Amino acid sequence: MTVWSRLRPYVMVAPSIAVFSIFFIYPIFYMIFLSFYNWDFINPVKEFVGFNNFVEMFQNSEFLQVLTNSLNYTILSVSLSIVISLGLAMWLNREGAWYGFVQGALFSPHIISLVSVSLVWMWLMDPKFGLLNAILEMFGMQKLDWLSSPDSSLLSLVLVAVWKGVGYNALIFIAGLQSIPKDMYEASALDEANRWRTFYKITLPMLSPTLFFLIIINLIGSFQVFETIAIMTNGGPVNSTNTLVFYIYEYGFRYFKIGYASAAGVVLLLVVGLLTLVYFKLLSRRVHYQ
Amino acid sequence: MAQIVLKQIEKSFKQEKIIENLNVTIEDGSFTVLVGPSGCGKSTTLRMIAGLEQQSGGEIWIGDKCVNGVEPGKRNVAMVFQNYALYPMMTVKENIEFGLVNRKVPKQERERLIKEITEIVGLSEYLNKKPQALSGGQRQRVALARAMVKNPAVFLMDEPLSNLDAKLRHQMRTELIQLHKRLGATFVFVTHDQVEAMSMGDRIVIMNKGQIQQADSPMKIYDDPDNVFTAQFIGTPPMNVIHREAIFPYMEGQLHSDIHQVGFRPEKAMMTMEKKPIAGCVQFSARILTRETLGAEIIYQLEAKLGLVAVKSFLKPLEFANEVQISVPMKDLYYFDHEGKRARQYERSEERELVALGGGYA
Amino acid sequence: MTTASKSIVRVLNVTAMLVLVAIFVIPFLWMISTSLKSYSETVIFPPKWIPSEIMWSNFAAAWNSGPFLKYLMNSVVVSISILLLQFTTITLAAYAFARYSFKGDKLLFGITMVTLMIPGQLIFLPVYLLMSKWGLINNLLALILPFSSSAFGIFMLRQSFKQVQEELIEAARLDDAPEWKIILKIMVPMARPTLVTFALFSFIAHWNDYFWPLVMTTSDAARTLPIGISKLREVDGGAAWHILMAGNMILVIPILIVFSFAQRQIIKAFVYSGVK
Repeated sequence: MTVWSRLRPYVMVAPSIAVFSIFFIYPIFYMIFLSFYNWDFINPVKEFVGFNNFVEMFQNSEFLQVLTNSLNYTILSVSLSIVISLGLAMWLNREGAWYGFVQGALFSPHIISLVSVSLVWMWLMDPKFGLLNAILEMFGMQKLDWLSSPDSSLLSLVLVAVWKGVGYNALIFIAGLQSIPKDMYEASALDEANRWRTFYKITLPMLSPTLFFLIIINLIGSFQVFETIAIMTNGGPVNSTNTLVFYIYEYGFRYFKIGYASAAGVVLLLVVGLLTLVYFKLLSRRVHYQ
Repeated sequence: MAQIVLKQIEKSFKQEKIIENLNVTIEDGSFTVLVGPSGCGKSTTLRMIAGLEQQSGGEIWIGDKCVNGVEPGKRNVAMVFQNYALYPMMTVKENIEFGLVNRKVPKQERERLIKEITEIVGLSEYLNKKPQALSGGQRQRVALARAMVKNPAVFLMDEPLSNLDAKLRHQMRTELIQLHKRLGATFVFVTHDQVEAMSMGDRIVIMNKGQIQQADSPMKIYDDPDNVFTAQFIGTPPMNVIHREAIFPYMEGQLHSDIHQVGFRPEKAMMTMEKKPIAGCVQFSARILTRETLGAEIIYQLEAKLGLVAVKSFLKPLEFANEVQISVPMKDLYYFDHEGKRARQYERSEERELVALGGGYA
Repeated sequence: MTTASKSIVRVLNVTAMLVLVAIFVIPFLWMISTSLKSYSETVIFPPKWIPSEIMWSNFAAAWNSGPFLKYLMNSVVVSISILLLQFTTITLAAYAFARYSFKGDKLLFGITMVTLMIPGQLIFLPVYLLMSKWGLINNLLALILPFSSSAFGIFMLRQSFKQVQEELIEAARLDDAPEWKIILKIMVPMARPTLVTFALFSFIAHWNDYFWPLVMTTSDAARTLPIGISKLREVDGGAAWHILMAGNMILVIPILIVFSFAQRQIIKAFVYSGVK
């Protein structure tokens, strides 16, 4: 073997590894480092404060609300999105041009920029002239405040997330359903199992890898929600839609509390890291029965 | 041209030695077949000659050059793979041309060569087709053309016919033999099929467990196997090999203590209805288990006290018989020692006919 | 089931499907309708679907309310540069990971897999600090460099490189093809479907991206279309919905057109990225 042929693989992976190390791996450690300091970004001196940022953060009622908001938003949007998309997948998992068209329509929000989605929904949810209130009134129901009331703002954001997400989830579910061998259903039909039994005994267990994948991916994604909040609510009204990433953004770029923002970043890191770990644990244990 | 010499070749994968101290000379211009059961190291040997696999020790010579460390593309060899390995995104012409372009053969020369070769293999009409549009036989021809166009000193073929159906395989065998005559290059052909080996090779190298069992002409290997493995690997059905204790009671005279096993070819056994002693024969009675009619010949599976025995007969008597008498001339017995090697010094082989034609009916 | 109840089920099914499609299509129709209205028609309740006069001027107003040509150019430059850089880096890395075994390959691939799980939303703060140290804030490089390779792309491409038969590469080696030629002439064409899938995925993601450009830019010089569109909220104190929706059309229509032509391919790309 020549020197070049021994060196070649390293040269080939070097650009990618450099990008990953500089822009993804190193920043993680840098962020953890910063979380132990007080720094305003302008002052050349960083002041070491130990765990102070974390202590301060968890005593801050605003942060606790942000955490609750994030948790509520995540749990609501993920559970709704998963249940609805599973139902849609079971229904739409059929051949035919019409089903293809419906699947396409369902999927279209996924490829649209979150900016567009946010702007359209902001306008749909406009309390005075929005279409949603017009529809409510058409059916004789009361108008809602949507984004402008702290009681409904987070729910409104959940609604947008579900609208954007179900198409993607449903199509992944359909791909999962199609990979279930047909003979399993034939066998269960021969055993005269009814629909619910078939669903619980065959579909759900065979779909479990897809299900777990989607739950984890949706959880991770929901915890990082930013765009809709930044565009539609700015975290308000009265902090009712302020969630983790938006909080970090505000503390970093508006208040220039880099250390404190990093500490909040570390919390997000822990959440995402934990979910990822759970995912790989489940993956290695193979959640389906084949 | 190019003879291939392998000197003390060793090959290990991880900790496991799969080939040890392999020495063989493949003569220039020969059609040499490497044959053996799967995992015997025949493909690995071929791939080491090609340079696709590095030997762990020893030297490989092609012509008068030691090719250790020489890139596969620079060894002046061409290879035909079992699955053809045609580039699916290139047309037939581009497939054949690829190696020439890499060697910077000028365009005019390339066109001439491609035209010439595709005419030989009968592909002229398909030059602009993609391999997926061709039949198995046609793909095989493209693979051959791709090899031929480089005009290599050595053609290496790794089970090139095993993906073809029986009829086409037969036809391609003949074509390959003719091609070999025409090109005069050295052909090294790997197969697990002993019939293919016998019918194609002018020299056969039988391998087992990383070692060469015997390297000889097909007839020599059939008539004069060096060991039990070769004796049983070549021939359908394989040679009957019986433990000395089992056959001894039916033999006349003594059996030397070095002799461990005794064998005879299925077509050397005579089968009769009634018991009548024949001098110079091992005789025993047996029950017919199955009859396999192949047309010209019938293969019987028999059960005797000394074990299961196969007999090949070219006549069709005994159709309804159950119990038969088997007689095997002593001169047609092969003796093997405790290590499975031939113990020729004890055989009465001087009386044996050297050509194994016809049945054993007197 | 009787034929009568069968046809009832069918009617219900079709109705339900229409409602479903409406839920996903009406917001887009609402956007189109608004973008063609005059201001006064956006402030009537209940709203009208068809504007009494089609206001094409809304698009010009949106386009002229900021340096939209600049935004558009930036978006194009960023998405295309990222794509071209990614093609190069992921092809090389995926080939090395798929075809060679070398000391530390597991560790380096591990780094790649970890990166796959790190979202931009997690590390934007430290990366911002890094970029500002390098003086790259408000520079398109800040939007391009972090995405000049893709862990996801390497992962996908490595899979499809691994599926290429070993014999094809061996045949090429026997044909005296140098390594770069094996990559360009054999591997890349063999992995074409994967590369197309990845390209669609990557282009749409970066064309649409709002978060990263928002964080890395403070001036219009390096801002991209999504930022520009979102800034239309500032026109007339946020009440100019007709202008806002017209601007939004500029962002959405190209993607929707691409989607309607390559729907199958795009859906496959995204679903594949999910199931793998």
